[in-house]
Amino acid sequence: MRKLSVALAVLGLAAICLSLSSCGGGSGKEGGTLKATYASFPELDPTIAFTTEAWTAMYDTYLPLLTYAHAGGEAGTEVVPALAQDLPKISKDGKTYTLQMRKGLAYSDGTPVKASDFTATVERIFEMNSYGAPFFAGIVGAEKFAETKRGGIPGIETNDKTGEIVIHLTAPRGTFTNELATLYAAVLPADTPSKVLSREPPPATGPYEIVKVESGRGWSYRRNPQWEKSNAKLMPDLPSGHVDKIDVAVVRNKATSVNEIERGKSEWMQSIVPADLYNKVKDKYEGTQFRVERPLNVYYFWMNMDQPPFDDLKVRQAVNYAIDSAALERIYSGALVAAHQILPEGVPGYEPIDLYPHDMAKAEALIKQANPAEREVTVWTDNESPNDEAGAYYANVLEELGFDVNLKTIGADAYFGLILNPSTPDLDTGWANWFAEYPHPNNFFELQFSSEYIGNGNFAHFDEPKIDAKIAKLEKEQLGPEQEAEYAALDREIMELAPYAPYGTNTVSTFVSKEIDLDGVIFNPIFGQDLTSFQRK
Amino acid sequence: MAPESHGETRLATAGPWRLGLRRLRRNRTALAFGALFVLIVAFALAAPLWANGVADTGPNATHTLEKVEVDGETREVVNREGRPIGPLWLGAGGKFFLGADGRLGRDEMVRLMYGGRTSLFIGIVAALITLLLATALGLLAGYYGGWVDGVIARLLDVVWAFPVVLLGSALGLALATGGLQLGPLQLAGDSIWIPILIIGVVYTPYVARPVRGEVLALREKEFVEAAVSQGAGPLRVMFGELLPNLLSTLIVFFAISVANSMLLESLLSFLGVGVQPPNTSWGTMVAGGFELITSAPQLTVIPGAMLLLTVLAVNVFADGLRDALDPRAKLRLEAHAGTAEPEGTPV
Repeated sequence: MRKLSVALAVLGLAAICLSLSSCGGGSGKEGGTLKATYASFPELDPTIAFTTEAWTAMYDTYLPLLTYAHAGGEAGTEVVPALAQDLPKISKDGKTYTLQMRKGLAYSDGTPVKASDFTATVERIFEMNSYGAPFFAGIVGAEKFAETKRGGIPGIETNDKTGEIVIHLTAPRGTFTNELATLYAAVLPADTPSKVLSREPPPATGPYEIVKVESGRGWSYRRNPQWEKSNAKLMPDLPSGHVDKIDVAVVRNKATSVNEIERGKSEWMQSIVPADLYNKVKDKYEGTQFRVERPLNVYYFWMNMDQPPFDDLKVRQAVNYAIDSAALERIYSGALVAAHQILPEGVPGYEPIDLYPHDMAKAEALIKQANPAEREVTVWTDNESPNDEAGAYYANVLEELGFDVNLKTIGADAYFGLILNPSTPDLDTGWANWFAEYPHPNNFFELQFSSEYIGNGNFAHFDEPKIDAKIAKLEKEQLGPEQEAEYAALDREIMELAPYAPYGTNTVSTFVSKEIDLDGVIFNPIFGQDLTSFQRK
Repeated sequence: MAPESHGETRLATAGPWRLGLRRLRRNRTALAFGALFVLIVAFALAAPLWANGVADTGPNATHTLEKVEVDGETREVVNREGRPIGPLWLGAGGKFFLGADGRLGRDEMVRLMYGGRTSLFIGIVAALITLLLATALGLLAGYYGGWVDGVIARLLDVVWAFPVVLLGSALGLALATGGLQLGPLQLAGDSIWIPILIIGVVYTPYVARPVRGEVLALREKEFVEAAVSQGAGPLRVMFGELLPNLLSTLIVFFAISVANSMLLESLLSFLGVGVQPPNTSWGTMVAGGFELITSAPQLTVIPGAMLLLTVLAVNVFADGLRDALDPRAKLRLEAHAGTAEPEGTPV
């Protein structure tokens, strides 16, 4: 009797397992081709790509030594080993990182992955003046290599036989583990030329490889033949993906992309649902085909503190009081979570603050006190909707404060290059955003508020020795509760000086066709949608 | 017989311009469209009156969070989902007559009127630039011939070789960011003069070639020979003899160029390389409204319709003008209209 009940229990359990596997996350169809659309053609070269679109496109193609867990939300901010066997061993002084390349890895063209490829990859970052270069400038000899582009980087020692990689830093850097997991550090063959390879992307190490690139029109992925042969077994924690092929078409009109998904012609759109259709799509499909995602970003207006009138704290504070996040929420059609600080929710160290609740009377009083002699200001923004409208709104707010505004709306492709170029005239104030390259508070402070990055990521020309010292101190330390509290205090201190008028975090959307299992689609806060997670029901 | 001879006497004393005007007056379609164009111009010129006297707002003033009273009911200019209010006609005393333009809540009617000023200004000034350049080049090439003609013809061929839209957008893209610095001429990237110059230049070959052809034919005429034999220099021949005989052609080309320039401006602005914000034109309004085409189609349709009407009005009027001023075309028109009144060759 007892045996029978045990047998029945086992059978029952087996039945439950079977039923679960048939309707759970891993129960969908395998194989086939995923049809997707992008609103623009991203750079398909991991060394130079810096947009979210490009990082999404290459998350499952080019692997660094470390990567971020293929998970959504907070779980997706965890650094996990990729091509490296384990997380780095960090010396006590925080200046030496030792990693071990997994043995037996191969690129999609069959070339073995070697430890020395990492050195070549970092050299390529400097040779191509990648936006990722500042993250690796702390490696011994890197700065000299960045200048001369010759002689190698002595701070990286590799052994192809053992796979050992030792990285020596000039000073401890608490964020270096995160930086090793950025796409810039995706390992490429040592002989990869130092030129943009978007049209003929280099061989891949991840589950998919990019093939058939039609510049400006689209590209395709297919399964990396070396993944199943060798790489998947060596990196069992990384997913292999469900579909065999992914065809991406560039469809610049986002409304067309929505329409194609509704008609079943396409199965996923990488871009966000356009503002005009956002609420309609949200109401109709939320929970079944549509989901709001929250990447780590901050949207703001920067003010150039180098020159009048924004060299005056009162003027900058007045601007902060005058900006009404409620208006901007409408301009972003609800795809904006209002906030008035540098760190967005989800980043360690985030503590909500609002030093400048909207108060036009206070703003006008501050302007009256400051009485700036310089009233002519140029406002810069890009032409991508609704950022262009945010810029126009901001120009209007400044006019209400008594400024004579000249609004310059620049093409999105050229915008950041232009406002970061110190020789561009009239860089008074303007719109910008900042998407985390890694989920660490330093990523929001170092490049934007260290004086050494004026002309790089420091749009406000913010130059405060006290803040510089705090950032420099914190960047050397590994992140812990104490550091998180210090970053929260730093957020407040910077906002007291008001170099920016932040107005919120922009949410994005995942919109898929009814054939795709929305629950299975992973949105990583750093890389966006994970291509390996798309599966047909 | 008598009335006929009386009519011929009257015609013989009328000048070519008077004859042209008379013919134009008989073309009621052209006149109607001409009147429509005048109305559109008046509509655009009245922009400040409407903005200050009725709408009480400027073309760039935003009203995102504001509310309006419509027939005793309070309504948001932009709702919480970012959708703009539709046309209120006179429901709010003329405010938001055509609704708001988008999430910024700017008054669409005010922008339409100011946008019309920009579009018309660009159309007219760009057409003048085209005409100026084309006349100068056509006169030089046609009068001198030889290597001067060769150099000018090749120069025009270079511009002609590129499709107008492609060349216009390439120039617009290059100049919209860096602006234009040509010796003393310095223009900021967002200056309205950038699209004006681009449009003026890219259409030049399309007018210069026929002008050159006409000059080639005219320079063989007896009145030119007579002037030369009386000691007239090249400049006097070109500007004193040839140019007056080109005027009717140039007037027609001017009208056609205005329409073409307005169309190209709207296209360039739609592509983001024409008129730069916050300046507004019908082209930028169509582009701005395009994103909301499903929820607020009027934002695209109304400026688009204004553009269509203006271009149609100018084109039909230009067609009538050509028929009136070009004696070769008049016979065609009259045969088609079935009129038997003899015109004779103007004396």
